[in-house]
Amino acid sequence: MSKTTPTTLLPLTPPVFHILLALADQERHGYGIMQDVADQTNGALQLGPGTLYGCLKRMLAARLVEESDERPDPNLDDQRRRYYRMTALGRRTVREEAQRLAGAVTAAKSKRLFAGSKPTAV
Amino acid sequence: MNPTLERWFCRIYLMLIYTYPRPFRVRFGGEMQQVFRDRCRHVSRITGGWPVLSLALRTAADWLSTTFRERLAATNWSDVWRAARRDTSRGFIAEWSLTIVTFLFFTTTMVQAYVIPTPSMEGNLRVGDHLLVDRVAYADPGPFRGVLPYHDVARGDIVVFLYPEDIRTTYVKRVIGIPGDRLHLSGKQVIRNGRALIEPYTRHVNGDHDPYRDDFPTAPGFYTTPRGRDMFASSVRDGELVVPPGHLFVMGDNRENSADSRYWGFVPREYVMGKPLVVYWSYDAPTNELADWNAHHFLDLAQHFFSRTRWDRTLLVPHSRAAQEAGGAQ
Repeated sequence: MSKTTPTTLLPLTPPVFHILLALADQERHGYGIMQDVADQTNGALQLGPGTLYGCLKRMLAARLVEESDERPDPNLDDQRRRYYRMTALGRRTVREEAQRLAGAVTAAKSKRLFAGSKPTAV
Repeated sequence: MNPTLERWFCRIYLMLIYTYPRPFRVRFGGEMQQVFRDRCRHVSRITGGWPVLSLALRTAADWLSTTFRERLAATNWSDVWRAARRDTSRGFIAEWSLTIVTFLFFTTTMVQAYVIPTPSMEGNLRVGDHLLVDRVAYADPGPFRGVLPYHDVARGDIVVFLYPEDIRTTYVKRVIGIPGDRLHLSGKQVIRNGRALIEPYTRHVNGDHDPYRDDFPTAPGFYTTPRGRDMFASSVRDGELVVPPGHLFVMGDNRENSADSRYWGFVPREYVMGKPLVVYWSYDAPTNELADWNAHHFLDLAQHFFSRTRWDRTLLVPHSRAAQEAGGAQ
């Protein structure tokens, strides 16, 4: 993964995409990412520790995320936790992936796949 | 989740982490452990559904898929190719062996699945209860004493052991006497070391009186096996049974319907395999179909899985309970 333009990384696997989404608004530790991914998907995607850290390992290697030294809440927090944050490359990548998915949804709508059902706001 | 189960889960998960390739577990192992513990804590607050079962299944699936994935990713295939031609890459073999050995060790040594085939413990364990047996609890840790969890078998413990008459089968009973105990029964009442036991876990289904069974030990009877006769010959003193060193006296909780130490003698301590950890599935089926699987059982299972599974018994933790001793010598 020496090529570091977002397009070479697309399409992202669902776990990678949702991990990036989880990190889009704030830095999180492993369990925080896991919870946020479950919230985003209404519990449909529950990352196990192996999947989560396997993805983080590859995402660190591809420089989509990096480890953070900052601790959002040092008083409440366990010192051993490590926090992860999204890099600029990660942000560009997740944006392009989201656009790609939006395009796919538009295509699906044009085929009248959603006919009869009202689009629901999330 | 009950704290014992949580400790167990975390301990098992720590072992599973060891199957990941070394660089991966050095970098992420600690965090994975922490995340898993957080998950356990979270699950213990959920009500409804089967959160513990779901956590266990999800984690098992996650482990199986990712350990092999990471192991494959960490394997340098050109090394493997070289190793196949010249014997150089010890690391590759060692690392893969670790994964496979841990997997085998875990499934054969730490826990074992066991199904209750007879109603001898009815009231606490039912026919068709599928158990995981903790095989570490009573194993002599040898040089690791103090490091590994180890308890000696205590009175009142439910134990899974090799049936002394035929060590190919396993039995589950409750420990009534440990070495040195003097025991006898008087009208179904157990008298241990001169004190009557209050045993809330027992079940008495019929009121008939069988002197052999209910006033044990009297004299060897029709159902006494040769091993049982040896026990009568060597260990009965003044109408009481004295448990010899290194042996246990066990009885089923269903006292009138249990072939136990009264009939076939003591259980040697080294025959004890472990203690029931958790009932992971309880299915209402007749004894002979649980003992050996057949086509009929399979069909029955397919048709009645949901209706005959005793959902309320899923993830039940069978407890060992010590009997209280009533005062007053008898």
